[in-house]
Amino acid sequence: MLGGIFIYAGYSKLFLPNQHFWPFFVLKFSLSSNLSTFAFQVDSYKVLPPAGVAFVAHTLPMAEMVLGLLLLIGWRLRVWASLITLILLGFLTVVTRAYLLHMEINCGCFGTPEPLTGMTVLRDSALAALAVLVTVFAFLEARKPHPWTASENA
Amino acid sequence: MNRRLLITGLSVLLGTVGLGVLTGSISAGVPGQVSSVADVDPHCAFGSKTAPVTMEVYSDFQCPACKQLFKTTNQLLMDNYVNTGKVYLIHRDFPLPMHAYSRVAASYVRAAAHIGKFDAVEQALFQNQEKWEANGDVKGTVAAALSAADMKKVQALVDGKTLEPLIDKDKQAGQLVPVNQTPTTVFRSKGQTYPYAGVMSYDILKQFLDQLLSQK
Repeated sequence: MLGGIFIYAGYSKLFLPNQHFWPFFVLKFSLSSNLSTFAFQVDSYKVLPPAGVAFVAHTLPMAEMVLGLLLLIGWRLRVWASLITLILLGFLTVVTRAYLLHMEINCGCFGTPEPLTGMTVLRDSALAALAVLVTVFAFLEARKPHPWTASENA
Repeated sequence: MNRRLLITGLSVLLGTVGLGVLTGSISAGVPGQVSSVADVDPHCAFGSKTAPVTMEVYSDFQCPACKQLFKTTNQLLMDNYVNTGKVYLIHRDFPLPMHAYSRVAASYVRAAAHIGKFDAVEQALFQNQEKWEANGDVKGTVAAALSAADMKKVQALVDGKTLEPLIDKDKQAGQLVPVNQTPTTVFRSKGQTYPYAGVMSYDILKQFLDQLLSQK
């Protein structure tokens, strides 16, 4: 579930709200304007300098998609689950800060506009908790012998 | 492992498309051949009507993203495309119900437009957005940008409510696009319509307009 949410979060930032795929210059404009809108949402949190905003806006969507996919595949789960946990804890921190400061901004969580409310904080808390669980589970599983290896030995 | 990858890939594809459809976002704002621009208030339109590209900007004066779009693109767009006859720019009011003062602001701007002071009032409202959003003093912000005589005319138009139907018409036109968020910009060129939601930098806009203008 966490992997799917991450993939959708990255996908929606790249391909929503504008979904025009053809001709190429139209697709390029769609992606650019979607990323500009996301950059504006990142900037509205007022925690990063302009260079940081540009970096996050241009790397986060793709990173979310790749991390989500890696989580679903399950390859090196401990590494990616830990990274996703750190990212989600980061999200939770900035979202909670904005909520406590009564900032009337869009969350920027997905591609479509969504005002930041207490529900956003709750949802991010739940996702961060889930990520912690996945990470703990991944580390515990890694201690056990691999089932295929175990059957071969038997 | 290959089977696992295939299942994962398919799940991702289905899940992503499914979520998009569920959130209603995939079907929205598709470019296509749409009829020409209707119900244009000439006081809120700039440039040549025969320009090869028409841009309709659905905007809400209390929306921070609209302010951002205005700040980053408006002056350069006017100088390089509108005043040179390449783009016909139409301002459309789309005051969102979630913003307490955006309808009032739209009324004042519309009235100012009808006495030829659209630019001054639009600029004053966007530049002081945070201030009047906090204290609700739209009238004071507008008055500071106009002479006493002009403000009197604007106030009379606002009080008379004769221009309100024009704002309603803009909203109705926006609902047909459909406008789901502000700002939304609808580009029309050579029979094609391209609705775009959100902000964009001038460089990105310039590249797109140049491509539209170079299309045969």
